[in-house]
Amino acid sequence: MRGRAGRSLSDRPGKAGPSEARPTLYLSEVDVRKYSFLWMLFPALLLYTVFIAYPFFSSLGLSFYDWPGIGPKKFIGLSNYKNILSGFMAPEFYRALGHNIVFFIWSLILSVVPGLFFAFLLSADIKGTKFLKVIYFFPNTLAIVVVGFLWGLLLNPQWGLVNQLFRVLGLGFLAKPWLGNTSTALPTIIFVTAWRGLGFYILVYLAAILGIDREMTEAARIDGATEMQIAGRIILPHLLPIIATTSMLKFIWTFNIFDIVYAMEGTQGGPAGSTDVLGTLFYRIAFGGLGSSQVGMGLGATVVTLIFLLVFPVSIFYVFIVEKRVERGE
Amino acid sequence: MLLLCLMMPAWAQSKPATVTIWGWRAQDVDVWKSVETALKAKGEQITIKYEVFPPTEYDSKLLVSLQGGVGPDLMYTRRLPGARTQALIDNSYLVPLDSSVDLSNFDNVSLSFIRSNNKTWGVPFANQIVGIFYNKAMFDKYKLKEPQTWDELVQVAETLQKNGITPFFVSGKEAWTLAMQNAMVGVSYPGDAWIGKLAEGKAKFTDPEYVNMLKDLNALKKYYQKDFMANTTAEQDVAFAMEQVAMVFYGVWGNTNWLKTNPDLKFDYFPVPPKDKNLPAKAYIYMDGAYGLSSASKNKDAALKVLNYAGTKAYGELFSSTTGEITAIKGVTMPASKPILVKCYNKMVTIASTNRYWVGSPFDAGMPSVYNILQENMQKMYLDQMTPEELAKKLQDGISTWYPAFKK
Repeated sequence: MRGRAGRSLSDRPGKAGPSEARPTLYLSEVDVRKYSFLWMLFPALLLYTVFIAYPFFSSLGLSFYDWPGIGPKKFIGLSNYKNILSGFMAPEFYRALGHNIVFFIWSLILSVVPGLFFAFLLSADIKGTKFLKVIYFFPNTLAIVVVGFLWGLLLNPQWGLVNQLFRVLGLGFLAKPWLGNTSTALPTIIFVTAWRGLGFYILVYLAAILGIDREMTEAARIDGATEMQIAGRIILPHLLPIIATTSMLKFIWTFNIFDIVYAMEGTQGGPAGSTDVLGTLFYRIAFGGLGSSQVGMGLGATVVTLIFLLVFPVSIFYVFIVEKRVERGE
Repeated sequence: MLLLCLMMPAWAQSKPATVTIWGWRAQDVDVWKSVETALKAKGEQITIKYEVFPPTEYDSKLLVSLQGGVGPDLMYTRRLPGARTQALIDNSYLVPLDSSVDLSNFDNVSLSFIRSNNKTWGVPFANQIVGIFYNKAMFDKYKLKEPQTWDELVQVAETLQKNGITPFFVSGKEAWTLAMQNAMVGVSYPGDAWIGKLAEGKAKFTDPEYVNMLKDLNALKKYYQKDFMANTTAEQDVAFAMEQVAMVFYGVWGNTNWLKTNPDLKFDYFPVPPKDKNLPAKAYIYMDGAYGLSSASKNKDAALKVLNYAGTKAYGELFSSTTGEITAIKGVTMPASKPILVKCYNKMVTIASTNRYWVGSPFDAGMPSVYNILQENMQKMYLDQMTPEELAKKLQDGISTWYPAFKK
């Protein structure tokens, strides 16, 4: 390997021969070039350490303490974990965890299936697809609190557009207090979340479909394959890696979800806790939320740590899958 | 000598100082501007810098800043009992004010919300009163009077409903309003004295007095608007202001929004009536917050001058006329342009409940608090997922885990 100055690694002082056996303390130009990536990594590493690593380890440490947010911390060992996993907070924790799981499963279905469907349609080279792409992606550009506010208006039980529409269409029996009923509140929020994120999935799947070699599909057509067969036997298998990737992303996002529930049902995750997720549970415990003069930063940090333990393995697997795909040149 | 005499006024004047105040109330910006003007008119060279933070972020911001050695001279503090303010006291971030601020214009009920270890840690700024606000035109039209008993309240609701008017608007989606509703009913039915016994551990939430109240409250829901569990306070404000509903269970702070939406709205207030006509109707009063002095303040003299002004009747009048809320200072004349404040202030002085189990009560000092339990479980009761008896038991069991008088 030769550097720009024409010196190889064997040219380095101290390694060239017996007469130059003494080690030197300075870096050669080659060394500087070789390790220059560290300097390039430094800003990102610094930001990562300050904003990700430090808060995480700080939070992990805090989970072993009883602390209201100010003053000395009282070390209580694993008591916070005991309280969350099997103590007085356990019912709320497992309920919230269950809601996160339901949220993940349904929002995945509501994102992947329509995402694939619309991506297939848009992949056909017909007039107006560019416009439709913009339309589908538009909700993604809205802030989640704005989405929550707008849907809150649309779903108002008395004068909201959704119920009015049902009544006009003669489907009055479908007009419901969507966000005020324990059986409809969570599905409604899942639907709104899926609606907002659909454009992202469409674009990702569409890009993957357009990346498939056209010769394969054309050859299949010449051999007499139907469009359904092409979709099921050529396109879908090619999309499986990207579906797996987006599913993992969905898992990570879902287990960190807070804002849409907060915007549509508040920190209590109402009605009657039917939309409470780990994010809102954490918020209430750590910051008191509305309706409690008590705050428990340590207990809140415990919830955060448990969320991390759930999400971290999937995140690692996600990185692994992505790396593999990059290696394969997909 | 002549030179000295000429210089006296300059000496007498204080040095210019800037007092920084942090709070969560955006509606107080004009109040502090007026205070600055008033102090300057008195010759004090004090500039007030008021910084507002969103209520949900305020406490975290304050705690982090104080621990980092930076922070305001004066800070808005939440009422006691409460972990946040207690932590500020326990860690010496607040200065006791008993010897440096004239607190003679406050009554003991107001000061009790900011007293700990026999010291006063803040200057109360507002009291809130909650109860039933009603549309006067609707009451007049159907010749209805303010009910004196629970049964009369039901009768009023019945009359209104028969005439095609929605008697109550309840914002059931916001669980805190249901906890508040429960508490404002509780001070009259089962009553102030019963809550006193509850606090001493001589009564239980599972007693018939409280369970019967829950049953009656649950039965009242037939007079609420349809699908009330999906409505918010913002929608309630619009419905009440636009005269689509006759009554709301709410706090006096709502009047500003109602009048902004409909300046012609005529409305009034009555406390939730008792079941037993021999018991007095009581109003749930609580102090909204106080101004505390930071122990790290570098402008303590100037800050104390601001605090002393905040304890005067002139400040009380300024506060109420600017914010449309009720000052915590006694003997203040409420602005005649806001008759609802006059009425509520009068009720506050005459029928305030001395015992309570919601905010500012001993039952709010531990986890789970009455407030926590009521929020979720009032929703369950209204959704018929929990009986009144089960809700009462949930309260008793939850509070028994930490409240000393219940552990005996």
